Amino acid sequence: MAAPLHLRRDAEHLADPLPALLVAAKQLAANVSLGIHGCRQSGMGESFWQYRQALPGDAMSAIDWRRSARSDTVFIREREWEAAHTVAIWADNALSMDFRGSGETTKGARANLLALALSVLLDKGGERVAFPATIAADPRHGERHLQRIAQALSDVSAERPEYGTAPDLPPLKPATTVLFSDFLGPDDQVFPALERAAKACHCGYLVRILDPQEESFPFDGRVVFESMGGGVSFETHRARALQEAYRARLAERTERLRDFAQRTGWHMLDHRSGESAQPVLLALFSGIGGRE
Amino acid sequence: MSLGPLVFLSPWLLAGLLVLPVLWWLLRATPPAPRHLKFPAVRLLLRLHDPEKIADKTPLWLLLLRMLALAAAIVAFADPVLDPDPQAEGNGPLLVVMDGGWASAPDWAARVQAAEATLEQAARRGRPTVFVSLSRPLPQGAGLPFRDAGDWLAELRGLEPQPWAPDRAAFADWLAVRDGNFDTWWLTDGLSHDASGLAAVLVDRGAVQVVDTARSPLALLPLSTVEGRLSTTVAGVPEPADRALSLKVFGTAPNGTPVALARADALLEAGETSVTVPFDMPLELRNRTTRVVLEGSASAASVALAGDGLRRRKVALIGAQVQEGSQLVSPLFYLQKALEPSVVLLRADLTDSLLAAPDVVILADVGTLSDSSASKLQAWVEQGGLLLRFAGPRLAASASGTRDDPLLPVRLRTGGRSLGGAMSWSTPKRLQPFAANSPFSGLPVPDDVTVSAQVVAQPAPDLAERTLAALEDGTPLVTARDLGKGRVVLFHVTANAEWSTLPLSGLFVQMLERLSVSSGGAGAPVDLAGRDWTPEQVLDGFGRLGPPENPVPVSGARLLEPVAADAPPGLYRAGEEVVAIDVLRADDRLETLDLPAGIRFGVLGERRAQAFKPPLLLMALSLLLLDILATLGVTGRLRNSGTMQALGLLALVSILPFGEARAGTDELALRAANETVLAYVRTGDPEVDRISAAGLRGLGLVLFRRTSIEPAAPIGVDVETDELGFFPLLYWPLTEGQKPLPPAASERVNRYLSSGGMILFDTRDAGQGVAGANTQALQRLTASLDIPPLEPVPQDHVLTRAFYLLQDFPGRWAKTPVWVEVSTPAPEGGRFANINDGVSPVIIGGNDWAAAWAVDADNRPMFPIGRGLAGNRQREMARRFGVNLVMYVMTGNYKSDQVHVPALLERLGE
Repeated sequence: MAAPLHLRRDAEHLADPLPALLVAAKQLAANVSLGIHGCRQSGMGESFWQYRQALPGDAMSAIDWRRSARSDTVFIREREWEAAHTVAIWADNALSMDFRGSGETTKGARANLLALALSVLLDKGGERVAFPATIAADPRHGERHLQRIAQALSDVSAERPEYGTAPDLPPLKPATTVLFSDFLGPDDQVFPALERAAKACHCGYLVRILDPQEESFPFDGRVVFESMGGGVSFETHRARALQEAYRARLAERTERLRDFAQRTGWHMLDHRSGESAQPVLLALFSGIGGRE
Repeated sequence: MSLGPLVFLSPWLLAGLLVLPVLWWLLRATPPAPRHLKFPAVRLLLRLHDPEKIADKTPLWLLLLRMLALAAAIVAFADPVLDPDPQAEGNGPLLVVMDGGWASAPDWAARVQAAEATLEQAARRGRPTVFVSLSRPLPQGAGLPFRDAGDWLAELRGLEPQPWAPDRAAFADWLAVRDGNFDTWWLTDGLSHDASGLAAVLVDRGAVQVVDTARSPLALLPLSTVEGRLSTTVAGVPEPADRALSLKVFGTAPNGTPVALARADALLEAGETSVTVPFDMPLELRNRTTRVVLEGSASAASVALAGDGLRRRKVALIGAQVQEGSQLVSPLFYLQKALEPSVVLLRADLTDSLLAAPDVVILADVGTLSDSSASKLQAWVEQGGLLLRFAGPRLAASASGTRDDPLLPVRLRTGGRSLGGAMSWSTPKRLQPFAANSPFSGLPVPDDVTVSAQVVAQPAPDLAERTLAALEDGTPLVTARDLGKGRVVLFHVTANAEWSTLPLSGLFVQMLERLSVSSGGAGAPVDLAGRDWTPEQVLDGFGRLGPPENPVPVSGARLLEPVAADAPPGLYRAGEEVVAIDVLRADDRLETLDLPAGIRFGVLGERRAQAFKPPLLLMALSLLLLDILATLGVTGRLRNSGTMQALGLLALVSILPFGEARAGTDELALRAANETVLAYVRTGDPEVDRISAAGLRGLGLVLFRRTSIEPAAPIGVDVETDELGFFPLLYWPLTEGQKPLPPAASERVNRYLSSGGMILFDTRDAGQGVAGANTQALQRLTASLDIPPLEPVPQDHVLTRAFYLLQDFPGRWAKTPVWVEVSTPAPEGGRFANINDGVSPVIIGGNDWAAAWAVDADNRPMFPIGRGLAGNRQREMARRFGVNLVMYVMTGNYKSDQVHVPALLERLGE
């Protein structure tokens, strides 16, 4: 696991080419914290939204006299409702994410990198980022928060499970949830957690990070496969013969994840740890930023 | 190392068996240990069915199979040999003795090999060894000359069998003065050689191992004449089974080259020690005999040499001297002419002639002899001489005939009688056919032999039995009486044509021959003693004649003793006389060597048959093959179609060659049967085969253009494998490398010849002289073939006019005779009499016809012939011969029947 500073440096480097990220306000969240996020409706904010005729009951102070002076009616200057959105991010740090096939990076490192790069982008956009169940669980923004995030991601001291499950989201519903994981855990743990997350947040992204070897299953001969913690093992005499069956199982799992995404309106992105991180970050950027 | 009778020649290889347990462990772990891989997606694999289940452990039976294969291979390479005759186990000094005499010669190579093996074994054990051949001079020096066994090997390899018997008595004496104990390995020839004490002497010194070959030797006794026929006696030791013998008589052809004159087969019956084999051959051939050889055993004793005593009889001619003018009608002249070709004539007076030890004395019209001469003559006859007397005026006039003269077979009337003269009513009398018990029986009596005068025997009770020939009125013409060991014969007519026409006829010569041949005592041994004889040619151990190493004269007395190094067998000369000394003397017999008890006796050559290496290796190989199948079966790959295809292919490949061969035969048969095909015999020499093919192709073109025979491309056949029946004609060029045909092939060729086939043998060496190597190859080849009697092509043979009129049959060479079957009908029962319609089954020549016929791809002649126009003419003649030949083959004797056409036409015209 990279040191926080290195992670931060790499994340900044990754995020560098992209502009500041604002979460697309597709849904209005019941979030009162002010932000720079225009809500496309009049409300509290700093940006001009529209002029409208003053109606009885409007406060005298709300009248824009300069505008009103150019006509007979009195106008009120409305400002856009600007709110800061919260994005909840989860980067799986279970043991299974430590797997590194033939490539250079583990799945976990890639997840952390993407998570932090996304955080940096969001922070630039003034959004608030929350990493539930970590020391950076509170949605904030600013330099210190980013440092906290980097520290949280680098923290490996905690006892880690074999397979990660999505954490419960904080009571303040985030606008968007991004989950980085391999989703290889047992069915009865992975999917209930996802269901809960989907209930808590209407907009979310499943970024599944797999190692190329996990996709292609390039093994042969007599092999005993073990999970990273050694808790699960499976022996075969001729691994190649299992290739087809394994791929079918993997496809089945993928299909189920897609089903879930379709049902809940979430999005699913596939990423392989051997490939460049740019495309998936770009996809997230454009997805979250509503610039699809 | 040995386990009982089982001996391992390379026992250290058995250490390889120690590897087996290691291998056991290795083989058991056949499936490799699994790799342990960290793999997060392992949950996806859970409860997947593993389609290929490999057994964790090799099944026990497969393991045992592999171990067995390996053990078999290891044991095989350790060279186990079942030795029924375990080599002497001792480590002390060893005496290796070989008999090395003539009886060892037939299987000399095997003996040397066995002795080598023994010496090598002794060398391995480091035993001090003495090696002795009993037929060679014994080592000099005191003490036993022990040396390292390896040192003796060179001596052994240079050794050759000697043409005399081993001198065991001398060796026993040699041993007696030398101390020391030793084991003995004695490679004997199994014959006693009149000295059996050696074994006992050897037993005194240590363990004795006697080794012999399974085959007991045979020997020829000196040639003799029995009942007028050349005969020899084959001696052997009693055997439990009959032994077939084949003997050949060799002599010189009229031109001096050695040829086989006759052969005879005989059977040495079980338990018999000798069989006498007579040879039926004319006197003329008998006189040319040089030696008789027992085939199939190359030893000095299987050759019986013919000396002078056998070859030419000495005949003393005694008669009245006549004036020069009437010499041509002198009785002696007739006798001389009749006898000259086959005998040595002595012309001296009686006393001197008798000193020269003649076989026959002929007295032509000698009336009275002096008493001393008569008594000497009588003594000579009683010793076995043959006295042949002819009548005449003097005998008729003498009074001796009226007395009971021992030198006359019958008493004679004085004066005789004359028949058919001018003053007589009677006519000259003819001869009666000869009685069956007469020595002349079977001779044809010509009609023109008449007797006009004779001396007449006085009737006596025993006159009839003394009569050998009589006139048609019963008067004795030839009478004979035994006297002592000898015989007296009287012709009652003169030896010239005065009294009868008998001396003018061929019958006269034949009668003389019969009498001369039947002179039993003629083979009386040449008087050896008293003279020194110089060896001219001596036999070596294998029975080959060669010049002597040191032609030192040997005293006659020594030659009467058994042959040895100082008097080797061979031909000896003293003055004009040549005497043959054979390995065995006439009264020698072969006896088995008796061995005292306590001697181990082994038989040579059985050991090799018991080597287990090949079968063990074969077993290991088949077990490994089985293992392949079993492994495939165990891993489930046997059901795999690819594997099955591979196995099927393998099986197919192993079968394929036979299938191909069969297809080839069928194709050959189709080609040969569908068209007329000229065939040649493949010799194995590619150049010769190429010429044969080109020659027959050229001949085919000529035939195609000029005749109605349109042959297809020629075919080369292998007489050993191909079916010959399709081919009307086989062209067989001879090469030096021609080997005698194996019996099966001979049988095929004989069948081909007797069922209408024809073979043109071409020795191709007419340009090189009379009898080249190819001719010898032909002789070797045809020894096993049924070749009828041959003659040069007669002037009126069908071959000379089957298509063209030809007088000679040139090929690339010319002017050598071409031989065909004798055209007179074969005698009754002859194999080729009528089977072939009189067409000769073989034509033999040496003119290299194929080369004359041969054309290249552009149909131009391949070989130059002669020079200029004459050469072209010769080539044309060669082609014409080819045309005539094929016509002769195809039409048989049709052309010779044509001579009757005028007569047939004339008859039709009537």
